[in-house]
Amino acid sequence: MLEVRDIHTYIGQFHVLEGVSLSVPKGSITALLGRNGAGKTTTLKTIMGITPPTQGEIVYDGQPIGGLPSFEIAQLGIGFVPEHRAIFRDLTVRENLRLAERNRGDFERKEDLIFNLFPDLKRLIRLRGTNLSGGQQQMLSVARALVPDNRLLLIDEPTEGLAPVIIEQLIEAIRQLSAETTVLLVEQNFLVAQTLAEYYVIVEEGQTVKHGMMADLAEDEETIHRYLGAA
Amino acid sequence: METTISKTTAERPTLAWLRQNRGTLAVLVVLLLLPFIIAIIDGQSISSVLANESGNSKFFQGLLIEIFILGLFALSYDLLLGITGLLSLGHAMFFAVGGYLTGILIKSFGWGLVPTIAAVTVAAIVQALLFAVVLPRVKGLTFALVTLGFASVFHIVVQSREAAPFTGADVGLQGVVIPAFLDPVDQRLRVYFIALLITMVVYFLYQRFVDSPTGRVCIAIRENEDRALMLGYNTFQYKVIVLLISSLTAAFAGMLHTIHQPIVSPNIAGLGYMVIALLIILIGGVGTLSGALIGAAVFRLLDFFIDRWFGEAATFLLGVIYVLLVLFVPFGIVGTWRQHSSQFTHQIEAIIERLRPKKENPE
Repeated sequence: MLEVRDIHTYIGQFHVLEGVSLSVPKGSITALLGRNGAGKTTTLKTIMGITPPTQGEIVYDGQPIGGLPSFEIAQLGIGFVPEHRAIFRDLTVRENLRLAERNRGDFERKEDLIFNLFPDLKRLIRLRGTNLSGGQQQMLSVARALVPDNRLLLIDEPTEGLAPVIIEQLIEAIRQLSAETTVLLVEQNFLVAQTLAEYYVIVEEGQTVKHGMMADLAEDEETIHRYLGAA
Repeated sequence: METTISKTTAERPTLAWLRQNRGTLAVLVVLLLLPFIIAIIDGQSISSVLANESGNSKFFQGLLIEIFILGLFALSYDLLLGITGLLSLGHAMFFAVGGYLTGILIKSFGWGLVPTIAAVTVAAIVQALLFAVVLPRVKGLTFALVTLGFASVFHIVVQSREAAPFTGADVGLQGVVIPAFLDPVDQRLRVYFIALLITMVVYFLYQRFVDSPTGRVCIAIRENEDRALMLGYNTFQYKVIVLLISSLTAAFAGMLHTIHQPIVSPNIAGLGYMVIALLIILIGGVGTLSGALIGAAVFRLLDFFIDRWFGEAATFLLGVIYVLLVLFVPFGIVGTWRQHSSQFTHQIEAIIERLRPKKENPE
């Protein structure tokens, strides 16, 4: 569904991505792993067109999307859940969800699905984003990506800084939504990534260093220790 | 039966709108009656107000017209900065283009009001598009400086000797003969009602716009443009829409200014006049819309009364008052009021929740 081939990205003068390649098969969850500063978030931002690549190719559903403006990439059906609970704090939960509509009535169609996954949001629907807790903001951030008919979701560190009970809820939500949507997941918490993903890609210093089946990685302690710092 | 149901459903939004805006509508009624109330307090007859005879009523009508014009100007700036987050330092140009064009077309070319309105509309669109041209290339402070550049050029041009036959250069444009039915002296009550009506209609339209899906995208752009882009919104289009609305509003406020004032001073094209719009929305509450109107009233009334009571010390005192306002009412009058009333509502809800009897577990 998504092919990223040898992309290079600069942020200012810094050559952040120096050859990232990855493949996200349709209907799968693929985990993008690596240490802090390895280039995971930049990879997602490059795919979304926020930091366009200077070299390489990004192909989504057979169509090259490298260099397209962000809003056109989003309109192709790629949803992005950025890190740090990127909601609109001055808008209510309902307005945040409505804002994500690509076609009129998207929210009404997905209302049941969203409130089944995140029952808390139904109760909080009239509250402003600024009044939500960190976990609730993260739920809203993920829920917003579910409103339009996205076929690919890029999710960046969804569990960062959240309480275990919220993490469990988010894991369940991502698992359920992956039944209909392909997911590329950036996750620092290896246990979460292992629980959810079928495939993995490891980036190190802006380059892809390893990829394969998550089941194989789970048994490869040396790789985990070397690139992810986890035991 | 079906008709009854649909009629009831159709009436609901109107009732809801009336309920939601009851405060503003009450203010509107007071403002409609105010010239007569002032006259009665002053011992004037209603007929003398209708005949536009001199007196306190007529004087305060003039002051209120100035407040409405400033309110419209500040509203247009609030949409740009407070709602969409576009910091422009050239906003005075939007106002001055409307003001000068009205004066020049009526005085130098003998145009009537209708073609002048059409010309001001075209000019407002053109200047908004001029600002829009630079939008994709510059952001934030750079956009502010570029817009300041545009406005400075305009300010220099209207003050130049070459433009003096039309603009009056640094003396200002004088002797504009306003059509008799809008004469600010002989028909002040009519001008007052027209200015009030325009201000209220524009305010309600702005409110409607901000509450619409397009308005919500504008708020999203203010909060984080990249996030809005990632949701699939072409933010440039939305910013152009806002520039157009803002420019049209400011230009028509400028037009009203020329109708009301005997002189179109070059000061209205300067940075100082833009700062007045900024100060007004800071006093009223940035991004609140109603704060622009309240701020305009506070600004103009303070300016008038402090000047009247304290003479030479007025400028110093006004400076102190503005500093105190910004320090102690940091979100502006409306913003701070909303914050406190929302906290109060939360507290009441929490108390009700605590007092509510807990359900016994049946097991």
